[in-house]
Amino acid sequence: MELSTNKEMQVPIEPAEEKAVSPWLEAWRSFRKNKLAVIGTFIVLFFVLLAIFAPYIAPEGINEQKLTTSDRLQAPSSEYWFGTDDFGRDVFSRVVYGSRISLWVGFLAVIGSIVIGCLLGIVAGYYGKWVDSVISRFFDILLAFPSILLAIAIVAVLGPSLRNALIAIAIINIPNFGRLIRSRVLSVKQEEFIMAAKAVGMKNSRILFHHVMPNSIAPIIVQGTLAIATAIIEAAALGFLGLGAEAPNPEWGKMLSDARAFLTQAPWTLFFPGLAIVLTVLGFNLMGDGLRDALDPRMKN
Amino acid sequence: MKQRKGIWALVLMLLFSLALVGCNKSAGTDEKPADEGDTAGETSGGQLVFGRGGDSTSLDPAVTTEGEAFKVTKNIYETLIEFGDQDTEIHPGLATEWDTSEDGLTHTLKLREGVKFHDGTDFNAEAVVFNFERWKAGNAEQFYYYNSQFGDKIDSVTAVDEYTVEFKLNTPIAPFYKNLAMSPFGIASPAAIEEFGEDFFKNPVGTGPFKFKEWKENDYITIVKNEEYWQEGLPKLDEVIFRVIPENSTRLNELATGAVDLIDGVNFSDKATIDANPDLQIFERPSLNIGYLGLTSTRGPLKEKLVRQALNHAVNKQEIIDAFYAGAAEPAINPMPPVVAGYNPDVADYEYDPEKAKELLAEAGYPDGFEMELWAMPVPRPYMPEGQKVAEALQKMFEEVGVKAKIVTYEWATYLEKANAGEADTFLLGWTGDNGDADNFLYVLLDQDSIGSNNYSQYQNAEVHELLLKAQASSDQAEREELYKQAQVIIKDDAPWIPLVHSTPLLAGSAKISNFLAHPTGSDFLANVEIQQ
Repeated sequence: MELSTNKEMQVPIEPAEEKAVSPWLEAWRSFRKNKLAVIGTFIVLFFVLLAIFAPYIAPEGINEQKLTTSDRLQAPSSEYWFGTDDFGRDVFSRVVYGSRISLWVGFLAVIGSIVIGCLLGIVAGYYGKWVDSVISRFFDILLAFPSILLAIAIVAVLGPSLRNALIAIAIINIPNFGRLIRSRVLSVKQEEFIMAAKAVGMKNSRILFHHVMPNSIAPIIVQGTLAIATAIIEAAALGFLGLGAEAPNPEWGKMLSDARAFLTQAPWTLFFPGLAIVLTVLGFNLMGDGLRDALDPRMKN
Repeated sequence: MKQRKGIWALVLMLLFSLALVGCNKSAGTDEKPADEGDTAGETSGGQLVFGRGGDSTSLDPAVTTEGEAFKVTKNIYETLIEFGDQDTEIHPGLATEWDTSEDGLTHTLKLREGVKFHDGTDFNAEAVVFNFERWKAGNAEQFYYYNSQFGDKIDSVTAVDEYTVEFKLNTPIAPFYKNLAMSPFGIASPAAIEEFGEDFFKNPVGTGPFKFKEWKENDYITIVKNEEYWQEGLPKLDEVIFRVIPENSTRLNELATGAVDLIDGVNFSDKATIDANPDLQIFERPSLNIGYLGLTSTRGPLKEKLVRQALNHAVNKQEIIDAFYAGAAEPAINPMPPVVAGYNPDVADYEYDPEKAKELLAEAGYPDGFEMELWAMPVPRPYMPEGQKVAEALQKMFEEVGVKAKIVTYEWATYLEKANAGEADTFLLGWTGDNGDADNFLYVLLDQDSIGSNNYSQYQNAEVHELLLKAQASSDQAEREELYKQAQVIIKDDAPWIPLVHSTPLLAGSAKISNFLAHPTGSDFLANVEIQQ
């Protein structure tokens, strides 16, 4: 007996050759129509390319100090597109390399919280009872703290470094994903195909990972995209507070913090890393919004 | 019905908490000290608000070692001997005359008559004896400076008559009078010490031009004019408020808006902006300090003398000075500034030469360099206003010779504690002289006796130790200077530090301030300062 469990869900990218349009393709079509979302995607793509090809784009390394007066705090010019900072380093090169750090932290932190959050959420939603209570209260505890405060506390315990900032950001985002997937699981659990799976004696793990999870993935993708934006901001905030990237890494938040003494004297040292943060976050947010509109069945005509 | 009641209770509770929030706010604004500026305008002397980077740890100068504390106590207490306005020459203070015996073991001081403590009790020989006995009875933990400057060398302090004190020593102390002039040896009221006991540190009573009024921790300290001050016509001001504003740029902003009148810890990079503002003026503190990178000689590759020398060759001091001191500093060669008697001008610095540094590293067995930690101080100090930046520049210079440094930082108290325990490979730190004597630099910072107190780099050299002890006991100034010069040669070769700079710390004030003279020791006497209303 063959089970009909939304097969398309398991192989999402598969182009639909028959007339039957897969929900993913449908989503893509509606996404494409959303101009803002496309702009967001392009911005994100731009920064991803910037990060990948940083060594070819940046004219300098990240820490080529030139402490002479003729090179320090120079205004943007044809030689230094974004000017130089107080070490005489090229701000443009540092912003370009900085995209590597920010995207890396954003993606990894979110992937980390998705993996852990989903595991906990699925377990909580599927098994219910006391397991659910324990996990949900754990989420509540995490959510009770303002997220940045919790991140600061975690970094303070682990010691300030980029890796620890990443871990902290991953931890504070766990409950968001956990709750989301838990509520999805609670509703998917009631569906008939799960009942059928149980009836044929499928193992719990198979039901969870082959049937429940694929049906809960859409909101996770949306939430994940938006969470990358927040994660980048949080990484910058931690860097700004001196709890993130270590010198001489060109993390954008740290660049801002290093440059804030020169707000009036050399505003470009502040402006460009700030702009980079704004653009990336905007890109992810627009893309995330577009994805939500495209993937939410209620938005369909 | 029951549910209704619940809702009403909730609404009431909300209203009540709103009211509470309101209360809190109004109480908060009442407490702001700086807003009182308008009322002070009517009185003659006026009020001066001094903005500084950190709070005092204690207002009893004897129990502390930290400069922020002395900034306040300098104006509440007086010492037997006083320094000059802008130097460390000795002048009469609470003692008017002094005399030393032939063997240098007995010092007799005549005290000033008619001086009263703020609590109305008389200042006399008994009071001086009381203070010295109090310090003598405590251990190094309690009274650090007494133990480091006098320790067991004072046998007895006796009151010969009402206004004469005699000190009997068992070993001559060459800088005896300079030591007496240091802020930690301010004479406090015996009656007050007995009355307040443990709490004396927050209830200071001295003979100085200002009386203590209020201390709100980490916020402000207020001192007011001592009407009974023995110097006619002083102090000129009615009130001084020391406000804590940790961030350098914030402090400067507050000065520009007029919320404070005088600030220290001015970023060198802000000098040009202040010069351009007609409402502000710059004060330069004569240099009596050293900023250095300590190379802990008990850790890893740094145990090797060659490695320490190599690191010395890797640093371009002038570049650091130009970039982070706006040129307002001199490259340091020896562990003490050139103005101190006994400075050895013949010691040559390790010239900046990365190739040489690499050679030395290879010779020491580290051809590919090594990894180490570089500790950067979290707070601005006069000798190092931008520790993090200097650390980043050093990191790059070390990288050039193959040494990978990881910048580490801790909260200030932890930083000092850990560095003191020898846990840092290399660390930024500095020292501002207390009395302008070579002993106060070389012995305090680099003698083996000072490991655990101020010898953070754990440097030990028996020969240096011997020279420093000999110089301490000698009363022949020329001989002392010779001994210190020899010690500097050995220290240079051992390279326990990379001496970086002797900076000229900057202060800034409103143009309305006159007669302010910044003292090289970092504690400024404010009795002569006037402020135009």
